[in-house]
Amino acid sequence: MPVKQKEPLIMHPRPSSIVAALYTLRDLDTDVVILHGPPGCSFKHARLLEEDGMRVVTTSLDESGFVFGGHDALVEVLEKVIKRFNPKRIGIVGTCASMIIGEELHEAVMDVQPDVPVIEVEVHAGYRDNTKGVIIALESALASGIISETEFERQKSLLKEATMVEKRHGAASKEYLEPSRGDLKYKVAERLIELIKNGKKGINILNAKKETAFMFADINLAVAQVAEKMGKSSNIINMANLDEKLGLPKNRRNAREVKDDLEKAGMRIHHVIGGLDEYPIAGITASQIIGEKYTDFDFAVITGVPHALPMDNLKDMELFSITNGPRQVVPLKEMGHKHVVVEIDLHPKTLGVNHIVESEFGATLRELAKDA
Amino acid sequence: MPKQIAIYGKGGIGKSSTASNVAAACADEGYRVTIIGCDPKSDSSITLLRGRRIPTIMDLMREGEDIKEEDIVFSGYKGVKCVEIGGPEPGIGCAGRGIIVAIGLLRKISTAIEDTDLVIYDVPGDIVCGGFVAPVKKGLVNEAYVLTSGEYMPLYAANNICKGLSRLEMTLNGVICNSRGAPNEEKIVSEFAKEIGSQLLAFIPKDVLVQTCERDGFSVIEKAPDSAIAGVYRKLAKAIMAEKSAKIAVPLSDARLRELTRI
Ligand SMILES: Nc1ncnc2c1ncn2[C@@H]1O[C@H](COP(=O)(O)OP(=O)(O)OP(=O)(O)O)[C@@H](O)[C@H]1O
Ligand code: SF4
Ligand SMILES: [Mg+2]
Repeated sequence: MPVKQKEPLIMHPRPSSIVAALYTLRDLDTDVVILHGPPGCSFKHARLLEEDGMRVVTTSLDESGFVFGGHDALVEVLEKVIKRFNPKRIGIVGTCASMIIGEELHEAVMDVQPDVPVIEVEVHAGYRDNTKGVIIALESALASGIISETEFERQKSLLKEATMVEKRHGAASKEYLEPSRGDLKYKVAERLIELIKNGKKGINILNAKKETAFMFADINLAVAQVAEKMGKSSNIINMANLDEKLGLPKNRRNAREVKDDLEKAGMRIHHVIGGLDEYPIAGITASQIIGEKYTDFDFAVITGVPHALPMDNLKDMELFSITNGPRQVVPLKEMGHKHVVVEIDLHPKTLGVNHIVESEFGATLRELAKDA
Repeated sequence: MPKQIAIYGKGGIGKSSTASNVAAACADEGYRVTIIGCDPKSDSSITLLRGRRIPTIMDLMREGEDIKEEDIVFSGYKGVKCVEIGGPEPGIGCAGRGIIVAIGLLRKISTAIEDTDLVIYDVPGDIVCGGFVAPVKKGLVNEAYVLTSGEYMPLYAANNICKGLSRLEMTLNGVICNSRGAPNEEKIVSEFAKEIGSQLLAFIPKDVLVQTCERDGFSVIEKAPDSAIAGVYRKLAKAIMAEKSAKIAVPLSDARLRELTRI
């Protein structure tokens, strides 16, 4: 008998709650995370996170671990981690395997009694929304006094919004979403340059999720540079969710770094629309500003999470959206975004960096503008 | 903090009937009692609910419903709060995970295990996996009891349970003998209790009343309050509610167990 679900089935693979917990621990400046589970669990992301300076190790539960429990393995790895890495903050993250057999992460911590804080995250990958992994990690961080109640509540409401954004027009909006490479970059770039050259007025919006801003911002910068080159800077209004006073430690740092780079390159940000973790709501702020001041604009470039922007004040503009999700193309087109460009594999390239990295679409714009 | 107990023992030895009769006897004394059935066959509370079967937490979760306290906590004999965790049919899925998930939900949406005087966790006979000790591991059980007859196999199971409990550093608060009519039973179980470092709290004779009341959907406390066996359960209830010392049990060797049951 199939399990009845309150919400409709979604068949395409989606981000994992375990991985979401890992990224959250990184944002909390955790030094080492122990994944309590099978050796291959979340391998790709565990590896990528090392680029950001957070170590991820595994208790490598095997068939006999599943049957006889993994307590001893966790104690052993925890002890080894303390000895080898001398961490100031440790995370322990559950997996489907360890959670199903009822492993108590806390027992191992009690046995070892480390003298640094340990964030225990009892999570598995079986949640419908991967934001659940973030919430569980933050709950644990709150319990160990690493974040404040206020920050926790702030994060929780943002995550609720993020989940809603995905449900409305994102990865959770349909039973099955076909992946797509999006429109051809040089065609889209040509059209964008044409509009700028013809003196059309445009809004250039960065609404990026956390560190992805390192690459998405390059596109907004390229737009600004093209306009500058054509003497049309005054036609372009720049907005970015780069408030450096909001979010977990890493997000604030990153906002400052991206902003510094943009300013150094001579780009003026007319409106800061939120923090780097505010991508689910910063779009609403952007939309309000547009409604108040820029309703007569001709086009908008939106990078990062374009589907978080309400369409009300955008629907008469020609929209250029840049996403990193191949499954985001169809929903964006359905919303009415005319041009959708995919920066494939963007996220991995934004780990372990503290400066803007070149994007393909940004490079295309700069190249085509040379002889435009 | 309420007294939170679990009664362990070999499968079919009488844990559920003992639990429900103790629950009823404590309710008679004016205690607020909660019984949590942790067995997928969900038979812990029927005799407190006049034979009615209540929806289980896992059934409702499976339906994908937004579960509220009143959907899973039911008032039985003299206000005893009854909860059944439920779970899959034998041989399917993972009942242990069910217990972990259900306990988590119960703690979140209900005060039934906090705002009360006595919580009884009725667990199945064989603690087959980590899930079945979730209440203990999550610190929700502060007293453990072992129920056994005087026969070799039930005692063997009881002894194994003591091993398990000491591994979890859980103390044992007493041994209860549920008689199956074997010779010398009270003496054997009493000796067993002493040797593992505990005490015999009650000797429950075998009485067909337990089964006839059960068939009609009642505890003997409710259906036959003046019977001798009802008196035994009342005495046991008093012993459970009383403060007593508890030590980590020292399990016996198998050779000693065999010898003991040879008396
Ligand atoms: N003292 C007793 N006299 C007569 N019958 C008894 C007595 N105690 C229990 N029984 C009967 O034994 C049967 C098994 O009891 P019960 O279901 O309580 O066992 P259990 O230990 O809970 O079993 P399980 O391990 O399967 O959960 C029931 O029919 C019950 O009525
Ligand atoms: S099933 Fe769960 S535990 Fe196993 S690899 Fe996948 S995410 Fe990890
Ligand atoms: Mg039972």
